[in-house]
Amino acid sequence: MTKIVVVTSGKGGVGKTTTSASFATGLAQRGKKVAVIDFDVGLRNLDLIMGCERRVVFDFVNVIQGEASLRQALIKDKTFPNLHILAASQTRDKEALTPEGVEKVLNDLRSEGFDYVVCDSPAGIERGAHLAMYFADEALVVTNPEVSSVRDSDRVLGLLASKTRRVERNEARIKEHLVLTRYNPARVLKGEMLSLEDVTEILAIPVLGVIPESTAVLNSSNAGTPVITLPDADAGQAYDDLVSRFLGEDRPLRFTTVEKKGLFSKWLGG
Amino acid sequence: MLPVTRINATTDDLAAIQAQLESMARQMPAMVQGMTAVLETSVPVSLAGYLSAVRSSGMKVVGVSGALLEADAAGLGLPVLPADTGAAKPARGAAQTASVPQSAAPETVPAPAPAARTSSRLIADPIRGGQQIYARGADLTITHQVGAGAEVVADGNIHIYGRLAGRAIAGADGDTQARIFCRRFEPELVAIAGVYAVAEQLHGEWLGKPAQVFLQDGTLKVERLD
Ligand SMILES: Nc1ncnc2c1ncn2[C@@H]1O[C@H](COP(=O)(O)OP(=O)(O)OP(=O)(O)O)[C@@H](O)[C@H]1O
Ligand SMILES: [Mg+2]
Repeated sequence: MTKIVVVTSGKGGVGKTTTSASFATGLAQRGKKVAVIDFDVGLRNLDLIMGCERRVVFDFVNVIQGEASLRQALIKDKTFPNLHILAASQTRDKEALTPEGVEKVLNDLRSEGFDYVVCDSPAGIERGAHLAMYFADEALVVTNPEVSSVRDSDRVLGLLASKTRRVERNEARIKEHLVLTRYNPARVLKGEMLSLEDVTEILAIPVLGVIPESTAVLNSSNAGTPVITLPDADAGQAYDDLVSRFLGEDRPLRFTTVEKKGLFSKWLGG
Repeated sequence: MLPVTRINATTDDLAAIQAQLESMARQMPAMVQGMTAVLETSVPVSLAGYLSAVRSSGMKVVGVSGALLEADAAGLGLPVLPADTGAAKPARGAAQTASVPQSAAPETVPAPAPAARTSSRLIADPIRGGQQIYARGADLTITHQVGAGAEVVADGNIHIYGRLAGRAIAGADGDTQARIFCRRFEPELVAIAGVYAVAEQLHGEWLGKPAQVFLQDGTLKVERLD
């Protein structure tokens, strides 16, 4: 059974694409057959972070409009052959995404035997974001620890509870997971950011992962390698925990409190 | 008798009237839609234009009142009603540049004691930003929270066993006895029978505490419940 997972947020720039890339890669590392789709028509990003931007021939819109087959458009990851990327079109406009077209692509992925389809949503609550969530079975709601991001996530949770196919068909509701990213415990302590507790109280959904603010994220994006593939990076480890938890493993939260730097680590330049 | 909202024009600028009504309809759509209204005016104004501005906001106009509108009423098929006999309530908030209706409080004619409500609606999920719930002819009980940007409306009372961070509008069909209760009071707006207050006006010792809101002599009162 194929599971469709949307990565969504409402607010822009909070880490949806970063999360989609690492989440999809983490599932693939564990042997799952995964496709990750960029729904952000007009703003290609996912292929950059996945390091396949120079191999894009056909995109999501080409498939929807019948200009290419799904197989032609799926880009196989260099490291994990069971991981596939469907890039967004940079040249078409958003109107090119149609409910029927998206449904057809998802159904084709089902019949190809994919375990997971990860839908990287664009920001906002318009067409692209709506279509990215409409067919989902589960949702990763990506939030930064600040008021406007949390509010937008709350709004998106309202849409997940009302404007999806599962709701229209009276099926079990979408399973919602909170992903709190760019978390900086030191700034939380100073009162400059909302705490994990503040955010979970407002959003009232279970936490799947807390990803620390980390310079490794930008570096890995620039290098075209999702941060989860860097075992030494704090954010990579946090994403690794997140994927394990998603698959049912019990892993304690890390990187949520200020780490005391010991004397030795200082001397050793750690 | 239906509860009726009296709208008094204080300007003949139809665009300004329309703009204010639209903003009110945006803020409290569930309340404004289908609200029954009687038109009044303090300045000479074109009744036809006034009428279409009010109607376009979704309100139902049932008549006019006052000498300035009487003359044109018959031609537009509207009955002329007697003036409101109830003591005029002071408008809340600063009345802006001659606007309609008085900036915060459409004056609601006290409705005759409404029939005891038998129905109620229960919601056990969080109400999220952007969502709107209307319990028509009923009380509304929410065993979760009402998030910022969410709106809950009931013709009766509203009980929230969680945080109220959005808008709560009780007595939406004019019941001045309706109340709002919540476990944590941090609203964006509360209203009872058309009298409302926004967050800015609601800084008190009750903030973040269990509280109730009710009308006393036409004025909103907030009281701690613990
Ligand atoms: N944990 C993190 N630490 C530091 N920077 C991060 C982290 N996560 C994301 N970023 C940075 O934030 C920026 C936005 O990230 P990303 O593109 O993943 O967000 P998005 O939600 O997909 O944005 P959009 O809404 O535009 O699609 C990027 O520059 C990324 O490198
Ligand atoms: Mg993105």
